[in-house]
Amino acid sequence: MKKLTINNKEYLLDLKGHETLLEVLRDKLSLTGTKTACEESECGTCTVEINGKAVLSCITLAADIEGEAVTTIEGLADGDKLHPVQQAYVDYGAVQCGFCIPGMIMSSKALLDKNPSPTQEEIEYALDGNICRCAGYPKIFDAVRKAGEVMKNGGNLEQAVVAAQDKFKSTMAKGITYEDFLKMKQT
Amino acid sequence: MSVSVNSSQSPTNFNPVGKSVPRIDGRGIVTGQTKYVFDVSFPNMLIGKMIRSSHPHARILKIDTSKAEALPGVRAIITAKDTYNIKYGSNEYFFPHTVDQMAIESEKVRYIGDEIGAVAAVDEETALAALELIEVEYEPLPSVTDMLEAMKPGAPQIHDAMNNIGVILPVNFGNPERAFKESYYVREDKFYASAAAMAALEPHVCVGQWESFSNKITLWASSQAPFKCREALAKTLKMDLNDIRVIKLAVGGGFGGKLEMLPMDFAACLLSKKAGGLPVKICYNREEEFSFSRRKHAMHYKVKTGVTKDGVITAMTGEVIADGGAYCSYGPTVMAAAIMRIFMVYKLQHFRINGYRIYTNTPISGAMRGFGGVQSGFAIESHMDLIANHLGIDPIEFRLRNITTPNMVTVNKMFLTTNGLKECIERAAVASEWTKKRGNKDYFKAGISKRGIGIGIAADVMGSKMYKSHESAGAIVKVEEDGSVYLFTGAADTGQGSNTALSQIAAHALGVKYERIRCKSGDTEITPFDTGSFASRVTFISGNAALRAGKDAKIQILEIVAQEHKLDINDLDMQGEEVTNKKTNTVLMNFDKALELCYSFNYGKQIIGRGSYNPKTTPIDFRTGEGNVSGSYGFEAQIAEVEVNTETGEVHVLKIWDAHDIGKAINPQSVEAQIEGSLAMGIGYTFTEDLRFKNGRVLNPNFANYRVPRSIGTPEMHSILVETDDPEGPFGAKGMGEASLLPTSAAIANALEDACGVRIKDLPITPAKIIQGLKELKEKG
Repeated sequence: MKKLTINNKEYLLDLKGHETLLEVLRDKLSLTGTKTACEESECGTCTVEINGKAVLSCITLAADIEGEAVTTIEGLADGDKLHPVQQAYVDYGAVQCGFCIPGMIMSSKALLDKNPSPTQEEIEYALDGNICRCAGYPKIFDAVRKAGEVMKNGGNLEQAVVAAQDKFKSTMAKGITYEDFLKMKQT
Repeated sequence: MSVSVNSSQSPTNFNPVGKSVPRIDGRGIVTGQTKYVFDVSFPNMLIGKMIRSSHPHARILKIDTSKAEALPGVRAIITAKDTYNIKYGSNEYFFPHTVDQMAIESEKVRYIGDEIGAVAAVDEETALAALELIEVEYEPLPSVTDMLEAMKPGAPQIHDAMNNIGVILPVNFGNPERAFKESYYVREDKFYASAAAMAALEPHVCVGQWESFSNKITLWASSQAPFKCREALAKTLKMDLNDIRVIKLAVGGGFGGKLEMLPMDFAACLLSKKAGGLPVKICYNREEEFSFSRRKHAMHYKVKTGVTKDGVITAMTGEVIADGGAYCSYGPTVMAAAIMRIFMVYKLQHFRINGYRIYTNTPISGAMRGFGGVQSGFAIESHMDLIANHLGIDPIEFRLRNITTPNMVTVNKMFLTTNGLKECIERAAVASEWTKKRGNKDYFKAGISKRGIGIGIAADVMGSKMYKSHESAGAIVKVEEDGSVYLFTGAADTGQGSNTALSQIAAHALGVKYERIRCKSGDTEITPFDTGSFASRVTFISGNAALRAGKDAKIQILEIVAQEHKLDINDLDMQGEEVTNKKTNTVLMNFDKALELCYSFNYGKQIIGRGSYNPKTTPIDFRTGEGNVSGSYGFEAQIAEVEVNTETGEVHVLKIWDAHDIGKAINPQSVEAQIEGSLAMGIGYTFTEDLRFKNGRVLNPNFANYRVPRSIGTPEMHSILVETDDPEGPFGAKGMGEASLLPTSAAIANALEDACGVRIKDLPITPAKIIQGLKELKEKG
């Protein structure tokens, strides 16, 4: 038996050596949000996040990732509240048939987590492994840029608060006033 | 880069038409909760696989399935002996002779992959193992895989068609020969447009279940036309339409490939029957998608045009030869689109182009986005530039002298009412700074990299009668007691966003906010009939049905209000969720109060609005090409700016401007998205998308070797929406979705010539062809 951690939940699974993460997600766990359009690492549709990196689940053996943190499209939203990347994809009309979108969003998120202000070139490179046949990319680029701005400006509220508190604590030690903190918060 | 943002953050959208409201299915898609047939699974569901021919052309002598049947886990096997051997087709109404395919072929196979049976087993592994155990005895026949070879006398006969010509379409008006004699300049060019794959990301997939106790079928299908699929199933299975239910879930792209019932749909149902009613899922893998689903027709396009000294077209003739593959599919309509679209774009009096669709022993060519318009767009628009260049007239000026105008009747009796073609050309020209860049020897021409700019124009229909005598769409708007509004439409949203646009139309017509609408689409048992998603028809035709249903529901509500308040219904209106007295200009009540009244003790009136729309068109005479195929026509102009590296032959499309007459943008963001998607597909088709064959077998059946556009190198795309307010369209809207793809290849080829002088007449445009072209130019001096 292997223990996989997917979207912060632990699953005890009897895995065969050849089973891919994609097969486990879709067939065993009914997490069908992750799609595939080729099963041979060409389309990017099956992209998930493992330890913060965008990874193709169709060529990842499930038995190999015990103990690693897997995030799928189902694990992004916080209850009713969409992740900034998801929200931007809706707001900027980046969604057409939607089949590529889960993978596209996972690649976008992996990029923005590291670099919330990517250049056009950086976006193109980060998403080049994800094929979209409907939308032709411009609206996807818009969504990624916008999501990055939101993430940078604390769209992910909890993280932003924690970061601000940490900064406050460290700067307090240097003798900064509360007014200074408020100013910092605004910026 | 487009910057329109939808208003999902704003609380409500009261008059949603014209606003970029968020997609009705947006949140479902981005959270992975939207269900596609690809995701459907049932307890005890079997997995089906098609038994396919390994020969391009052969007689079937014997199929022995006994070993496969004996394999543990195999639940059902079907071959032709389990079927009625009924042929079906896609253009049955106008071209009955093109009905040429059986769901399961019984006597002969005509391409590598032709379906001769199917197996269902407990899992995919077992089903694949069963395929290996099926023994088929063939008598191989001589095969022909090249369209020009297939037309020659003595070529192997694939069907009972002389010279393998499956469809012949002569379009003939006036006296072009005489007009040529009177012309100042006559020019002939030959073009070749290659085959391409739809490459929708969701593969073809279905789940069929035959409930043996009630003898009813349910098919969950990834379909662009569920009602058409139901008709074909009923015909081939000899069942009543009402015993078959086709349910479309979210569809992961279609582009024409999911317009028809495929043998897999038929097989899933029949396998389920044989397996005692267990559901059977059949899903293509990517190799099957590229190898055995429909593809774009490759075409040889010969065109000859005469002009006056001033550049006015006097006559046009030509010949189109298309590789149809093994069966007819939507071949006739593809040929019609490849020829007759020209009338919507250019004023022509003397015209003769004959179209021939040729059977070959290759997979089936079908309808891909734009039907034949993409191939003809490349040929005609490249040809026009060559003429303009010869005459020394600016290509835009040349087009402006020849294009169709508003309120005109074309020589083949198409009624063009609103026509924004001139405005499209002019606005694209201004936006792209055409006059500054075109033909300018100083504009990035000095170094190795040279820039150029080129134009292509196009027009499109809003629907076309193809498989029935009518092409109506129906809609129902159901308003419930709690204020929820349901829109039932037969239209199939395949990703383009029609559920969103139709919901906007219905909400606006009813007078309520968009957020109230729940949209149910494409289920043959619960939604009204609709011919399907093709020919850019949904916004225009299904939209008119949704409009009528919304208005009908509104009138029913206002009737109750009028009755209660003893007012004349003609004085009442409801907009933005307020019932107003137009006479006194006062608000009587809001939508919720009005509903309360409708569902009150005294009235108890259910609000169910109905809408049906069938565009006013005339039948097409396919012997001449005469007929008004569409209720309105859409237009567009596209300008591409490219940069070519004259040492490597690499071309980059830097920017594309697309001005599109869409009547009225129901959802501007969705319109832009359709344009951008078309442009990307057009760029892919121009440079890299080339489905290649050898002896009838697809050589590049995967995304590694069939290169669709990816994010790197995406050009700047500028959409210009031209609104001509069409009197027949819902809120003035026309259809769109195909037109933007039609002129892209030509606009790029024209820009390439402007950049470096090389003219490419056969797609795709590759660095090797450009280097060769440059070499030839140099030799010529």
